[in-house]
Order: sequence, then C-alpha cells, then structure tokens
Amino acid sequence: MSGSQRAPAADLGLLDATMIGMGAMIGAGIFVLTGLAAEIAGPAAILVFVLNGVVTAFTGLSYAELAASIPKSGGGYAFVREVFADLPSFLMGWMLWFAYMIAGALYALGFAPNFLELLHVYGIVPPPEQVGAIALPVVDAAVPAAFGLAFVAVLALVALNAVSTAASGSVETIFTATKVAILLVFVAFGATAPMFSTAEFQPLFPAGAGAAAVLPAMGLTFIAFEGYDLITTVTEEVKNPRENIPKAIFVSLAATVVVYLAVVTVAVGTLGAEGLAAAGEAGIAEAATQFMPTGIPVIRNGGAIIVFGAVFSTLTALNAVVIASSRVAFSMGREGQLLPRFGQLHHRYGTPFVAILASAVVMLGSVALPTQSAGNMSSLFFLLSFVVVNGSVIKLRRERPNMTRPYEMPFYPAPPVIGIVLNLVLTAVLVEYLVRTDPLALALSAGWILLGGVSYVALGRAADTERGPGEPAQTAPAGDDS
Amino acid sequence: MTGKLDIVIAGGGRVGFQTARLLEERGHDVTVVEQDSDRCAVLADAYVATVIEGDATNPGILEQAGVETADTVAGLSGEAGLNLAVCLAARELAPDVRTVARVDTAERAAYDRFVDAVVFPELAGARVAANEVLGSDVQSLADTTGRLDIMHLRVAEGAPAAGKSLAAVRLPKGAVVVSDESGDRVAGPETVLTAGERYVVAVEPGVADEVMNLFRG
Repeated sequence: MSGSQRAPAADLGLLDATMIGMGAMIGAGIFVLTGLAAEIAGPAAILVFVLNGVVTAFTGLSYAELAASIPKSGGGYAFVREVFADLPSFLMGWMLWFAYMIAGALYALGFAPNFLELLHVYGIVPPPEQVGAIALPVVDAAVPAAFGLAFVAVLALVALNAVSTAASGSVETIFTATKVAILLVFVAFGATAPMFSTAEFQPLFPAGAGAAAVLPAMGLTFIAFEGYDLITTVTEEVKNPRENIPKAIFVSLAATVVVYLAVVTVAVGTLGAEGLAAAGEAGIAEAATQFMPTGIPVIRNGGAIIVFGAVFSTLTALNAVVIASSRVAFSMGREGQLLPRFGQLHHRYGTPFVAILASAVVMLGSVALPTQSAGNMSSLFFLLSFVVVNGSVIKLRRERPNMTRPYEMPFYPAPPVIGIVLNLVLTAVLVEYLVRTDPLALALSAGWILLGGVSYVALGRAADTERGPGEPAQTAPAGDDS
Repeated sequence: MTGKLDIVIAGGGRVGFQTARLLEERGHDVTVVEQDSDRCAVLADAYVATVIEGDATNPGILEQAGVETADTVAGLSGEAGLNLAVCLAARELAPDVRTVARVDTAERAAYDRFVDAVVFPELAGARVAANEVLGSDVQSLADTTGRLDIMHLRVAEGAPAAGKSLAAVRLPKGAVVVSDESGDRVAGPETVLTAGERYVVAVEPGVADEVMNLFRG
C-alpha cells in the first residue's frame, strides 16, 4: 500500500498480517450486507456466509501458494502479471481495480444509513427512514441525505490518502480488534436476549424460491471475503513470509467465518429475517438497538456501541479499499499497462496521486448506485478475478515445474479446479440474477470491460508509436475481449 | 519509460544473492536460477526473488525463468564458462536481451564480443580488502556505508521530481541528495532536479524503490 514504501521492511508479524485480512473481511461486509442477504435468502442468510467462506477457501489455497513463491507485493494482479501474457493480466488488473472501487462505493453507501442511525440514537436526527432530502441552496436541488453522506465520506478519505501516506499495519491491528470486540459484544448480548430464546429459523428458505435463493445471496455477499487479496498486497512487509502468509490467509479466513456465523445467527434470531431485510444496510445496527440494554450513562443506549461499530467498520473498510484500488492502478501504471502517470508517486505528497484521483472519480460516480447494485457488481468482478488467480496456479505449475514453492497446496490440482468451477457457478448465478433484477448493474459491468478493451488497444497503439515502426511490438494485438 | 526491469540471475550463490537483493530493493523484478536445492530454500526464505531450481544452461530451465520476456540476464555463478553459456543461450532465445557475465579474470575485453557487460567481483573485493588492510581513517565509499547506498542517479525526462526544487520534492526519510547537478556543490533546498542531469544520492535500502520512482518515473 502507499504507506508501506515509507515504512521499514518486514515488521509485520503473523498477528498483524492476520489482522489485515480479518480487518478487510470482518466489518463493512457483515454490517452492510447481512440485511440484504436476508432479503434474498431469508433465515438461510446464515448458510450464505458459511458457504461463501467454503468457496473462498479454495481460492485461498491458490493465494497462499502464489504469495509464498512470488516475492512481490501487489496482490492478485502482481501474481497474474507474472504468469499470464499482456492482455489477460491487463484484464485481471482492470477487473480487480473496478472491484475495489465499487467496493468503496458499497462501503460508503453502507456508512451513510448507519451514520444516520447513530445520530438518531442520540436524538440528533429523526429515524433514518424519516430523514428526507437535504436541500442544497447553492444548486437549488435536493440531494438524498444518504447519498450526500456517502459522497462526502469518499471525498474525505480520498483527500486524506492523496496527500498523506496511510495508516500502518499496527494501527490496522487496533482497528480490527475493535471491530471484532464490538461484534463479540453484539453476539454475547444477542444470544442471551429473551428475543433469541424464542428464535424462529423456520422456514429456513424463503417461500417460492426455496434452497436456490441461497445462490444469488452468495453472489451478492461474496465481496465480504475479498480480504486476503489485501494480505497479499503487503507480503513484502511480513516477517518470514513463506510461513506466515499462508498461515495468515487460513487463520483470518477461518476466524472470519466463525464470527460471521455467530453474528448472522444472532441477527436472524433476534430481529428475524423480515426485520433484517427491512433494515437493509443498517440491519445489524437495527438488531442491536432492539436487544441491547438502554439507560447506560454517557452512551445512553447499548445499541449505540454496535451502531458505532458499523460506522467505524464501514469507514475503515472504505479507507482500505481506497488504498487497495489505487495500489492496483499504481502497479498497472508501473508495469506500463496504464499510462505511466498512474505508476508515479507525487513529488510532494509521496503518494500514488494520479492513481488515487482516478479511483476517486469512479468511486464518487458509483455512490449514485443502489447499495445492492454496488454489492453485486463488486462481487461479480471479485469472482471473475478469483477465477484468474486459480488459473494462474495451474498455469504456473505446468509452465514452471522447477519453481521453488515454499508452500504447496495439498491435493493439487483439485483445489484450484474446484475453486474455478465454484466461482464460475456463482458468476453464472449472479449474472442470471442481474439479468432479471438489475440490468443496469450488468450493463455498467459490461461497459467497464469494454472500456478496458478500448484502453488496452489505445495504450498499445501509443506504445507502438513511441517505440517506432522498426521495432517489434511487445504487446500482442488485442482481440475481442468482451 | 518506466524504470522497472525484469531481470534473470543465473547462480544464487553469494554474488547472485546479494545482487538480487540490491536489485529488488530498487524496485525491479528478479528471478534467480539455482541448481542446489538447499540454496534454493535459503533464497526463498529471503523473499527477494522468484526461484527456479535447475541448471541454468538448460534451455528449458531458462524458459521457465522467463528469459524470453526479460530485460536483462546476468550469469553470476562462480564458473565463468557457465555464465558465458547462460548469456549465449539467453541471446539465442531472446536476441534483444541485455547480457551480463561474471568472469574470473581482470581481462574483461576478451568477452566483449559475447556479452554486453562483464563483472569481476574479486576486483571490487580486493579494493575493500586493501582499504581494510591499510586501516585508514579515509576510505572510498563502496565499503564504508554498510547497507546504505550512495549512487549516481540521472533524473529521467518526465519523472515526478524532474524540474522541481528539492524544497518542493518530499524525499522519503532515509534519502539525501548530496550534490547539485554540476557536482561541485552540496545540494540545498533550492537545488533544482534537472531532467537529464546526474546527482549523487544517498539512500537507505527501504526507500530505494521510492526514490527510483521519483527520479526515474
């Protein structure tokens, strides 16, 4: 990440690396997406998160093997760049960049209702559903409060990251510990609440759709598990990486699944699937305000802790993806796969300034999307890029059998093949679901890929002119990649 | 042009390993080919380069190391013949690749026809040894700086720092520009980093990559 280059090398231990992964996975996803998952899958939302954990675990094995044997920070894009030719690696970076930017929009959109809920708990504003539009005197138009808040949150964090280097790994550890502690408080109170003892998980699946409803919900919430791509973007700072990176990936994934399982079970058990669905992005916060004790001094309402947790998580996650998205664009710029400007640090701020600004433009534009569309699009692109990561492991094993692999996954080639199949199944389900319910999101996704194809050809042309007609072009002519 | 290079090093012994580490610190992609599996494990632990286990003169192994897309191939093992063979094979696979061979004699000229550059590490080692033997209080820089790197760095056209004064460029902590462009004076805040000119810069390993980015783009 942008801050890492100023920091001394190799000072993150196993705990720090694990916390970076958990910090990305636990937090915004669970707070924002639980309600939306319950809307689609009913009480089976519990299953949704566990199954997604299982699906991601296969790709986790691929990440572990690649990260241990390719000593590069930069995450999935860096690995794929090492293995694949120009066009596939360009597309991988392009998709991953988009996935992070859209995730940023998603977290900003999740931040807004939770922030309003927090203000509501303290009686500053009426309940979120009653907060209407904020009139803007300057442009003589009304902007929905949630949209405005999301926009401001993105703007603030982008500005922060553009002029200063990011928080270090140890701060991340404190952040993550805070989030996990808040969720544990939530689980402890929820599981002992009277509401939970009468919990009703039947019928598990929503009427009509049946068990099949789990699949589109899995597609939507898949983004909650993108965390270990983030671990692998800081590998060069991790002590004894060939042992600690695979461990950090597995430990953070396992811990995350356990926490999700507990939180979603409590949320469904107390508020009920319908209640969760109705609360949408603020589902967990809403559930908490129902059963947490009230009348506590200073914080007044126990639910405020959870609501604060949601606000805190969405903001820290937003910060993380601002860094992650600019990092991908920065790497692509350095590899000559985007304009070289993207791969340069700003002479005064020492940050990948252009990469951050470009990411900000897309993020700010995406804040206008409905939360669910943002979640779907981001998940779609993470699914596709995970397919490529699994493919890289197979290609690398075939083409470079003599490469030293400090960590080799067990039962090769089963894990990457299963990973590819499961990710593709979810992709197909998600695309089918989007065709029915959200053609706009699908059209925007296709548009992004198309834009990528155009940029690739244009950049290839520019490079050819620079090189001169006599010399051979290194980049193969771009084919039809849509 | 980006300053990032794709480099293949044949031989992961002391010279190959230290070279790989320096290159990685400066932000380049390094692949090391090494025959000894114990040595490969040591290299993998250091986490500075992708490691290919095998005989570097074997074309199949060279292909696995990615010679065909590499910018530079360096034969740095202890055997001059092997290094030369690696460079010749690499040229056969990728005619445009820059080749560097470690040799075991000061007679460098003999190799000019076959490789782009030769290194004779023993000569540098001998300078260091001579300095230490004399125990003088005044020594040349190469051997007194520990991990610190003092380098001559040319500012690239269009690099982020090009045309800016040192006051306007926030160099990372751990980097100092020592000389101005004429090389006659010590640099100050008002010193302008002119594209195409060379400056003496002192850099700690942890920030070398970032300094390269500012100077080279």
